[in-house]
Amino acid sequence: MLDQTDESQRLPQQEPCSCTHCGLPVPTHLQTESESWFCCAGCEVAYTILQDLDSCILEELNDQEPAGRSDLSYEEMDHPQFRELYAREPEPGLYQIRFHLEGMHCASCLFVIEKLPGFMPGVISARVNLSTASVDLIWDSTVVTLSEIARTLDRLGYRPHPPQNNDAQRIFQLENRKHLIRLGIAGACAGNVMLIAFALYAGMFSGMSAEHLNLFRWTSAALAMVSILWPAQVFFKGAFSAIRNRVPQIDLPVALGITIGGLAGVINSIRGTGEIYFDSLTVLIFLLLVGRYIQFRQQHRALSHLSLLKSITPRSARLICHGEVLTVPIEVLKLGDQVEVRAGDVIPADGTVFAGDSTVDESILTGESRPRVIQAGDTLTAGTINLTAPLKIDIQSVGEKTRIGRLMNLVEQGVSSKLPIIELANRIAGMFVVTVIFLAVICFGIWWSSGVKIAVSNSISLLIVTCPCALGLATPLALAVAQGKAAKRAILINSGDVMERLAKPGFLWLDKTGTLTYGKMQVSDWSGDHSFLPQINALQKQVVHPIATAFTTYIDRQPEINGLNNHSLQDINYTPGLGIQGKVDGQQISIGSEEYIAEQGTPVSFEFQKKMAEYRQRGLTAVLVIVEGHVASVWGIGDELRADAASTIQELKNSGWSIGILSGDHPEIVSQIAECIGVGPEFVHAAARPEEKLRLIQESTRDGTTVMVGDGVNDSAALAAASVGIAVHGGAEASLQAAAVYLNRPGLSPLKELIDGARMTNHVIYRNLLISLVYNLLAAGLALGGMINPLIAALLMPISSLTVLILSFMNRAFQEPSS
Amino acid sequence: MSVIYIALPVAIALALAAVISFIWTVSRGQYDDLETPAFRILEDDEKRPPPKKETSD
Repeated sequence: MLDQTDESQRLPQQEPCSCTHCGLPVPTHLQTESESWFCCAGCEVAYTILQDLDSCILEELNDQEPAGRSDLSYEEMDHPQFRELYAREPEPGLYQIRFHLEGMHCASCLFVIEKLPGFMPGVISARVNLSTASVDLIWDSTVVTLSEIARTLDRLGYRPHPPQNNDAQRIFQLENRKHLIRLGIAGACAGNVMLIAFALYAGMFSGMSAEHLNLFRWTSAALAMVSILWPAQVFFKGAFSAIRNRVPQIDLPVALGITIGGLAGVINSIRGTGEIYFDSLTVLIFLLLVGRYIQFRQQHRALSHLSLLKSITPRSARLICHGEVLTVPIEVLKLGDQVEVRAGDVIPADGTVFAGDSTVDESILTGESRPRVIQAGDTLTAGTINLTAPLKIDIQSVGEKTRIGRLMNLVEQGVSSKLPIIELANRIAGMFVVTVIFLAVICFGIWWSSGVKIAVSNSISLLIVTCPCALGLATPLALAVAQGKAAKRAILINSGDVMERLAKPGFLWLDKTGTLTYGKMQVSDWSGDHSFLPQINALQKQVVHPIATAFTTYIDRQPEINGLNNHSLQDINYTPGLGIQGKVDGQQISIGSEEYIAEQGTPVSFEFQKKMAEYRQRGLTAVLVIVEGHVASVWGIGDELRADAASTIQELKNSGWSIGILSGDHPEIVSQIAECIGVGPEFVHAAARPEEKLRLIQESTRDGTTVMVGDGVNDSAALAAASVGIAVHGGAEASLQAAAVYLNRPGLSPLKELIDGARMTNHVIYRNLLISLVYNLLAAGLALGGMINPLIAALLMPISSLTVLILSFMNRAFQEPSS
Repeated sequence: MSVIYIALPVAIALALAAVISFIWTVSRGQYDDLETPAFRILEDDEKRPPPKKETSD
């Protein structure tokens, strides 16, 4: 008998003489005494490779120091409230959670993560979903804690994030399924009705007995009724709401065509003579639903936006509780709590500092690149980053009541309250309906003299053959093709109406920091003594500060000073916001602003004074380096303009756009940049807080198309309110969520490409509409002349659809520039 | 041609079966993630314990 160990009970029953790899019987001559048997050499090789894979993962894990890739402890995940918020308990003791994983994108990631239960006791299952970059974990809370699992995932290189907005995802999933079921039914009906229609057309020429004719007609009537009453319901619902709201909508002509065609078909089936239009109708419903589905998939990204506030504030905070510091989930924090914020941490809530001196990067709110000096008594805002030293904070407001929380509410309101444009297709639909009904009446009038029967039949033919396929199918398809091509060029567009909004030039506002400029401090220019570079580097490495980082990255890149990294450092004294001094290799070195140097009483020669004035005029921050009481060098540090900014702005201006700058930075720096790219001072708004940016954009949208280009959280409200918000490469999560377009390529040149592409796509849509209009005119003419028979209708409809489909696919927008 | 009275309902029944199974697969969520399952098939099953030779007792 097979030895029944615990292990083998869980596994599928295995024949005693079967292959370890594939489970097929092993030939007798291959049965060995060794632990594993194989039925063939192939299985043996495959098994060895896969075994190695497992051991590789374990090795990889063991090789890494326990701290992992980031030093996050994920302790807050063990807090009961965290579990309550994010996990489900399908069975007592077993919990289920979904994590979004950073950095998961291919099949190998799937292998590694789904192996988790194999080498982590207590993890029951791990199921990966690559398209949403998430994993569903089930774990046994008595064996393993969630923070251990999270740390393991982190060490493997995938940072886990708890789910943020499960509802949106679930609603999308349900909606997606409904669309698919509708498509399936409509497709099956259309296919079968078409098959029967072939028999009927053949019968028209060769003759068919009345009983067979009736059978076929009634069967297709029944199938068409299914299609009209179930999948086509969406069109009727849309048409009703269009009538109720008195807004012309594409559903109206479609519903009209389907109703009249269906009624005519049923009446003619009962009468046993005349035309039935079921083949055209069912195919029309199917094609229009395909268009609807494409449109739905396009808009998905817009709907599934995460909770913005949660993407900015940290997930955990260090709560000071009876003198101890505990890591807790941020949801636990309340008014009056005290928290500790270490250097590099994000401030979890609004509050007042009661201990500590540090500098805080507030660029998230102000867009200003220079950090603010913080002392006890200063107030801090959630979402800003503590840079240099630990701070202790009294909490004054949490969650949605914080300044950033209120701002994000504005963003969400901005996204939802944005006036939808009446899409071209819908605008035309209104006129279309009036024209078609008018023509049908004329048709009836013309044929009145030949008898009511013929008049009715001809007007109905007209109504059916002019059903607007191009409006319902070709437009979404053209947009989807353009979106797909744009995505390949790293321009992610999350809803089709962006193309229409960008078709005509309007006002384009740009943020400065991170959009027009690189968004980080760099050494632009310097002059003075070369020989102290290694010492400056060593001293600046002691602090976390954008200007110090600019120094170290610049000096590290200089080839001549490599290998000189062992300096002795003594008496380091750092004054936040001013400068740093200390003894390097025995030499007293101070680095800092002019005030800092002046305080020490070091005279600055006229030559260096001139340099500093020059740097300041160029919008740079001047920094002095003093060695043993003498000025050694002067440095100009600043955030430089992107290389392609000026040329892109010029091109956009040439194509008719008005350009403005909307920045939270100092007026002098902003006007400097504005001058470089040629933007007039009347279009420059500096020192604008996020709320002001929002107001300016709202005012501007009232006058016409307004595009906002930005990257920061401080831009996100404006991005959401603008006709089209565009987030640039490297932007903050909140700005990506608020914007309709994301340029996933550094620089501003994709902006030009986007605007050109939108124009071309609109041309394609117009061309499609024109062509379908010509077809419809032709069909209407034939119907007026009484020459439409079912065969011509059956030919005209697919040909017109096919033409517009091909043209949509041939859209040349967003194509690779030919070299 | 009276065979058509049988053939047509059979054809419709087949189509109906296809539609019903399609709806079933959709509602079971088989179309929710079209990317991952294609890779999952490449993965080996859980490691099995090496087969033990039948012993005489």
